[in-house]
Amino acid sequence: MNKYSDLQMMVYASLLAALMAVGAYLSIPIGPVPIVLQSLFILLAGLLLGRVWGTASVGIYLLAGAFGLPVFAGGTGGIGRFFGPTGGYLLGFLPAVYIIGLMSEKRKNKVLTDVFAMICGSLLIYAFGVSWLKVITGMELNKAVAVGMIPFLPGDALKIAAAAFIARSVRPLIGNGRS
Amino acid sequence: MAELTSFSYRPGHSFIHKIDTRFKLLFIVIIGFSSLKASMSGILLLSLIAVCGLVMVGISLRQVVRDLYIFIFFLIFIFAVRAFSAGGVALTNPFGMSLTYDGLIEGSLVCLRIILIVLIGLLFTSTTRTAEVKAAIDWILRPFPFIPGGRVATMTGLMMRFIPVIMEQARETSSAQKARSIENRKNPFYRMVKFSIPLLERTFYNAGRISMAMEARCYSGKRTGQKLSSNINDWISLLVIISLCIISFLV
Amino acid sequence: MNIIEIKELSHMFSDGTLVLDNIDFSVKRGEFIVIAGRNGSGKTTLLRHLNGLLFPTGGTVLVDGVSVSENPVRARRVVGMVFQDSDTQIIGETVREDVAFGPENLCLDRNEIEQRISDALKITGLISLADARPHLLSGGEKRRLAIAGVLAMKPEVLAFDEPFSNLDYPGTRQVLKQIIELHASGRTIIITTHDLEKVIAHADRLIIMKDGKIARTGSPEQIISDTEMFGIKEPYFSRMGLGMISWLS
Ligand SMILES: Nc1ncnc2c1ncn2[C@@H]1O[C@H](COP(=O)(O)OP(=O)(O)OP(=O)(O)O)[C@@H](O)[C@H]1O
Ligand SMILES: [Mg+2]
Repeated sequence: MNKYSDLQMMVYASLLAALMAVGAYLSIPIGPVPIVLQSLFILLAGLLLGRVWGTASVGIYLLAGAFGLPVFAGGTGGIGRFFGPTGGYLLGFLPAVYIIGLMSEKRKNKVLTDVFAMICGSLLIYAFGVSWLKVITGMELNKAVAVGMIPFLPGDALKIAAAAFIARSVRPLIGNGRS
Repeated sequence: MAELTSFSYRPGHSFIHKIDTRFKLLFIVIIGFSSLKASMSGILLLSLIAVCGLVMVGISLRQVVRDLYIFIFFLIFIFAVRAFSAGGVALTNPFGMSLTYDGLIEGSLVCLRIILIVLIGLLFTSTTRTAEVKAAIDWILRPFPFIPGGRVATMTGLMMRFIPVIMEQARETSSAQKARSIENRKNPFYRMVKFSIPLLERTFYNAGRISMAMEARCYSGKRTGQKLSSNINDWISLLVIISLCIISFLV
Repeated sequence: MNIIEIKELSHMFSDGTLVLDNIDFSVKRGEFIVIAGRNGSGKTTLLRHLNGLLFPTGGTVLVDGVSVSENPVRARRVVGMVFQDSDTQIIGETVREDVAFGPENLCLDRNEIEQRISDALKITGLISLADARPHLLSGGEKRRLAIAGVLAMKPEVLAFDEPFSNLDYPGTRQVLKQIIELHASGRTIIITTHDLEKVIAHADRLIIMKDGKIARTGSPEQIISDTEMFGIKEPYFSRMGLGMISWLS
């Protein structure tokens, strides 16, 4: 990742943060529940930008939302969003992208490493998301898992597969636009 | 329109527009924490004041309700979970679950609390410019040694600037693909990949261009920051907010 | 002294393509230069050497007497660059904030910055749009905003890369007028284009590039009839033997 200047990485991270915000409004229709693309871009931030700048990217997105800028889906921004039922998932993005960046940096361009890293990352998101959902709604754990995790697993598997593929073809394109 | 939500800054000269951003953020935190301790009528009081604020700023409540309809489903869900899972004497027993009086009270309290926080968030968002938020972020991060506040502020600005651009590009990509009948392809993996790669490619390309333009305009970490200024009105509003919160515990 | 001196400049990209080959020329203070050449002749690459976005792989570029490779930051203060694509040059979330970006980077104080913003917006006629969001501007307004953003840094030299691309008739007129006024106010102007019709009547000197080399250089009257050899359309007024006619008239 040292191939690029700090300024370049900074702009990549900012634009990926913008993509996360937009991603909440992008979906691929399958069956009755469409797959929302936001978390795909979270995974990709880790894979493409690495640990430091990936975390910065997600951090900027969450910080802007916490500070009341209109970047979260549904128009309800502000720090209150973190105290809402989905707050845990949002917070879970941070450790997830860090771990994905860390693991994929270790062994570059190995699809299996990337996939494993993303599985760990996704589990982290659920660990945060489901436990907070449980706290906020007062559900039992098994119910919280049934509502806040199980329905999304197929979509996640698909996203992980797609992200691994996308990262492979986008990595060589990073650095374009400067000539 | 390529805005994410209809809730963005509305230019205006109301009293709330003029409050220092740092104070506004502080108010949100104070009200947020108070809402955890406040009584039901206290929260209602605070929400009423927030609604008055929204009206003062010129936001129609009907629009708020219309744009937040998904959120309302959410509230109903939380209300139901709470209402059916609290202890106490059952009022009725539909579907083998017990709906209790305590549950109803607790459910309403949680929902009202969330509504209050959403309302003040909206109020903040519609009365504060991104530039002011950036300045506040810079100011708040200043005491933290390893976080460069100025840079975080610049990145936040870049993100906000390019959200509508990327939204537009996503729409273009999507319609270009529709024009070529991508909807006949049912495989969601294929569609996700085919949609994301061009979008990311463009995003990274643009990012390269932007970084060059920033360099050409002499960007470095060291630059003139935004100025923030507070005046006596901000301190008076702080006192008012604190008193209101104390009242909300007592009523 | 010349504001820009380019000596034996070559640039080879890391993939081995030689894009600039032994370029030599200098620019006098207050000169109006047009660099023409077909797609891929190296115009953009040449411009990027003037403010240190690219560095020579051979030869030197001096801006105001100082080597760009040694002090790119100084070169960037002297040479303001308006890029081919305004969309990715505008980084502020509002018109005003975008114009502020450059002066803020120069660490000027707030009052000075405010002054420069209002001057630059006045010159470019964007005052009424000061609080508009850039993505809602028209193509011409965006180009003018890009110019305002550069003007606020008060550069001596203004380099425009294809300033008329994607502009409609009124948009082109406005931008062209702007450029002519800036030249009249004493700034040095360098424009790249493959469409001479619009600017050539105002230029002091024309440089024709081909395959990374300077193929011709001289006063527009002298060499304009050679342009078609290099894949550049000769303006109709010159072909008709009418002399130079401003596109604005
Ligand atoms: N990073 C790079 N690596 C390799 N070759 C490059 C790179 N950037 C540009 N080139 C090549 O350099 C040549 C000159 O490009 P340049 O953009 O300077 O031309 P131009 O005269 O500005 O063309 P246009 O009129 O299309 O803007 C082109 O053939 C291009 O393919
Ligand atoms: Mg070019």
